Amino acid sequence: MNAMIIADSLQILLIIIAAVIVISKDNLQMVVFFAVFSLVTASLYYFNQAPDVALAEVAIGSAIMPLIFIISISRQREFIVISHVNDEFLSNHTYKIGKGYELLSEFTRHYGLKLKIYKSELGSLKGIFRSRNVDLIVEKCPSTHRYLLKGKESSILMNKLEQMTENEPLIEVIKIREGETDD
Amino acid sequence: MNPILSFIVVLIGIYGLATSKNIIKSIVCLNITQTAVILVFLNFGAFHGSNIPILIDKVIDMTDPLPQALMITAIVIGAAITALALMLSIKIFHYYGTLDWKELIEREG
Repeated sequence: MNAMIIADSLQILLIIIAAVIVISKDNLQMVVFFAVFSLVTASLYYFNQAPDVALAEVAIGSAIMPLIFIISISRQREFIVISHVNDEFLSNHTYKIGKGYELLSEFTRHYGLKLKIYKSELGSLKGIFRSRNVDLIVEKCPSTHRYLLKGKESSILMNKLEQMTENEPLIEVIKIREGETDD
Repeated sequence: MNPILSFIVVLIGIYGLATSKNIIKSIVCLNITQTAVILVFLNFGAFHGSNIPILIDKVIDMTDPLPQALMITAIVIGAAITALALMLSIKIFHYYGTLDWKELIEREG
């Protein structure tokens, strides 16, 4: 009789936690509540005479699933930039912050992303839009000396970046359709 | 051990799946629905009998072990589906720049 009361109260707790997950807006809060949800369900499996299922649920539901959720959320929140320029346009030293770095860091801070800049040579990067999750490529035009920011046409972030750099005379945003080559 | 209380959790998960605006939230709601369905199956399996189905001499009234064996498989398959959906959501974010369902539908038409 005592176990029945515990199981019923756990089921009401389960309903409350599910409602909190459906209401909540923050991703990380949702993942933590999902781990709690899995632990409560695992104890309910035990009260339903299924200890083997409870064991699997504790291992998978409350340890592995929040882990892969958190890893994938942190992978989504980064903005990957490949740099082909050699001057101080993208430098981020403390005494001399480049103009492009200032602009991109302000842009990524506004959207809650994390900026990652990689330097690379020109020849070794064919078809990089298709093979990796690169968001932006920075180049310098040799004839007009303007900086070209190349990104995917399909991304909404590129429209926002274009609006942001309208007044800059030295920066031009180029949107590349999927399937075209990079050069 | 009331199947109706478990079925309410299934309905909450389906409601969240229908009304969520974010892809990550949709995946979490899919997981809630799956876990609650497993709980409903185990509730139905535990109607008759009140002992854990492990074969010892004096145990007579065991619960049905067949739903338990099937539900372990369902848990593992659910973990694999979650990993696949999260990988696709990373691809979608880097291609479209957003994870909002409305913006994605406007974008794609």
